[in-house]
Amino acid sequence: MKSSLKNALALGLIALVGAGAAQAQTLRLALNSDIRSLDPGVNRDDRTDEVLLHMVEGLMAYGEKGEVKPLLAQKVDVSADGLTYTFTLRQGVTFHNGEPLTSADVLWSWNRDMDPKTQWRCLPEFDGSGLSKVTSVTAPDPQTVVMQLDKPSGMFLATLARTDCGGTAVLQKASVNAQGEFVQPIGTGPYQMGEWKRGQYISLNRFDKYQSLPGARDGYVGGKQALVDEVRFVIIPDQATVKAALFSGDLDMAEVTETDLPEVKAHANLKVSTAPSATMNVLMFQTRDPLLKDPRIRQAIAAAIDIDQLVATTSNGFGVANNSIISVASNYYSAAEKAGFKYDPAKATELLRQAGYNGQPLTIVANRRSMVPSYDLAIIAQAMLQAVGMNVNVEVMEWGTQLERYQSGRYQAMSFTYSARFDPALSFEQVTGNKDKEPRKAWDDPQATELLGQALREGDVAKRQAIFDQLHKRFIDQVPMIVMYNGLDIMALNQKVEGYNSWIGQKPRLWGVSIKP
Amino acid sequence: MLRLILQRLAMAVPTLLLISIAVFAMIRLIPGDPALLMLGDMADPTRLAALRQSLGLDQPLAVQYLIWLKAVLSGDLGVSITSGQAVLPLILERFSVSATIVLSAVLLAALIAVPLGMLAAWKQDSFLDLGLVTSATLLLSVPGFWMGLLLLYVFGLELGWFPVVGYVSFKEDFGKALAYVVLPIATLVLHESGVIIRMARASTIEVLRLDYIAHARAKGLSERSVLWGHALRNAFAPTWTLIGLILGNLLGGIAVIETVFTIPGIGRLMVDSIYARDYPVLQGSLLLITFVYVLVNLLVDLMYPLFDPRVKI
Repeated sequence: MKSSLKNALALGLIALVGAGAAQAQTLRLALNSDIRSLDPGVNRDDRTDEVLLHMVEGLMAYGEKGEVKPLLAQKVDVSADGLTYTFTLRQGVTFHNGEPLTSADVLWSWNRDMDPKTQWRCLPEFDGSGLSKVTSVTAPDPQTVVMQLDKPSGMFLATLARTDCGGTAVLQKASVNAQGEFVQPIGTGPYQMGEWKRGQYISLNRFDKYQSLPGARDGYVGGKQALVDEVRFVIIPDQATVKAALFSGDLDMAEVTETDLPEVKAHANLKVSTAPSATMNVLMFQTRDPLLKDPRIRQAIAAAIDIDQLVATTSNGFGVANNSIISVASNYYSAAEKAGFKYDPAKATELLRQAGYNGQPLTIVANRRSMVPSYDLAIIAQAMLQAVGMNVNVEVMEWGTQLERYQSGRYQAMSFTYSARFDPALSFEQVTGNKDKEPRKAWDDPQATELLGQALREGDVAKRQAIFDQLHKRFIDQVPMIVMYNGLDIMALNQKVEGYNSWIGQKPRLWGVSIKP
Repeated sequence: MLRLILQRLAMAVPTLLLISIAVFAMIRLIPGDPALLMLGDMADPTRLAALRQSLGLDQPLAVQYLIWLKAVLSGDLGVSITSGQAVLPLILERFSVSATIVLSAVLLAALIAVPLGMLAAWKQDSFLDLGLVTSATLLLSVPGFWMGLLLLYVFGLELGWFPVVGYVSFKEDFGKALAYVVLPIATLVLHESGVIIRMARASTIEVLRLDYIAHARAKGLSERSVLWGHALRNAFAPTWTLIGLILGNLLGGIAVIETVFTIPGIGRLMVDSIYARDYPVLQGSLLLITFVYVLVNLLVDLMYPLFDPRVKI
């Protein structure tokens, strides 16, 4: 009797759970924290961009290797003086509410973004505070938008495409209510807004009338047809729970760390997709520190670290050493960028002797966030530096505190992961500049800043490559930081999930992804 | 009694005020602010200053506090910096999720652990007592998150009886909701049962040694009658205080359990708020929890005479 009761209870519970998992065409993906808002490029973080870029699109977007391509624009004509950009819109594109896309929508979205009240993140890039100012935007006919700049900028289209700008999304005006308050994104993306249960999940539904570009998936452009009815981003902050949910089949896919990779690969129900991303794992130096201002000390540190071994250990053998600011996945990653630091402990010892190093302490600041290798990297570097006689400590702090130290420049050395930039000029811009004005900048070299200015203005690919090569050489010579390797985009997938691939942008793209019945 | 209630509620006001000052000061002593965290590694000084200004973080701390306090006194706990939601409905919604789990867990733990503790006391120094005390010590020694992960592994992953992640509210679907909260409730019940068993046992042993129990036995009453009729009420009084304290603690502190089981409760909200430096949400949550703590203790005190007739209110 007791046994029957137990069985009945168990069956009842299984039925309850089974009922919850009955939606076969829902693709469930883990997010490690909730999104901040539904307003693209406004109140956002990486997770917010990741979700919203399934619903909204802009005139331009990034391709698979970080190159900028038209998305809602069919083509872009740039005037000879580089000041006038004429966008011709694609025909037949409709918003989620059925309205057709016209130049009036582009104009409306632009004006909303450029209104300071919107607090669009990228407003300073176009209002004259940045490289160039957009002096006028006009819509001469329903399919054409013309943007006028005050001076040429090699970064104009790339900035429009930036994911943290929400891809400069073109929204339908019904996205805001009569009071002008943002309600939800009515965009042109392959998925439309479903339900947002704060702290639990956000679900998006397939947009059946989506007008996809032809061809295969290509970054945020190319073929973008949604193949499942619903995608559900489930918020799970704990990495151990994420793994358990993947193993049990409660999740279809989730980003995992290098440390988890062997376990995930060994599981019969799971497979993985990996690709190097544009994030950078670095050991940066405060070049104004009394010890580290001597370049010989920094060069000694670079020679004392066996970067290949460090990368192999922290990434569980999956990472590829790269000492360049430019990602290994970028089209600009050429032979010049492959020339990096060489492991030479004897040289390190000699450089330390020449610099008069006498056991002065060096502290590396690190954090223990689960998705970055900051702590592991610091600990291994510490051991390698101790091996050449350096006195190195590792100070672990919470992310917000470390960020404050980074921003104020109050550190000697820091194990840090830079967020992804698609364009190399933007990657160099992250680290290069005047420390008096921006203490967060690790590389304060006027000539490098001048070269960077040229790269930001230049539009020609070959000329830009030459500038990046020069910048890389100076960077390696001066060692303001040691770039160890690019982060890895590692997605664990249930065997039933088909059509997914990781990429340089790291953010998952759930179009073209299906679930095998 | 009404006077006592009013008196205690009035006493809560300075407590809440002091808590609010302490919380306000402490969270701001942690380096980093919400503007910095929102902009991340791309925060240029101009943009950072503009964002700080728009969030009111450029004002002196005392001014920020007074602005916040003035709003709180008019019933407005502000708006979340990260999500833009009004704080009061947000924390009430999250608190109700935590409260459902905590109240169920504490009730179940009390129903299971009090009789077991008394049984252990009654059979003091027997193998049963030894077994119960050992189990109780083990249960209260095992960290809650580890117990949670273990249950998740066995009943979620290996046996597949319960979902591993997610949450459904009872308002939406009672059956589904039950499946999602069984494991977190079980984790709390197991952990808190250990504490309650030990307390119930200790206080029962103490009561069983008193003269009036010897007198009852001398009258020829059965052991069952002595235990349940005479010892229970007196032995339960200290346990009741403990249950009140556990309830108060858990209502503000099951963040780890909520994180392991992906429950959108107030504990997880507070942890997220600390990481994001979402000052309004954190301040509002702690105020609410302090108030609930005061309220729970008041209720415990008011119910004390039910168990110990010597206490008069």
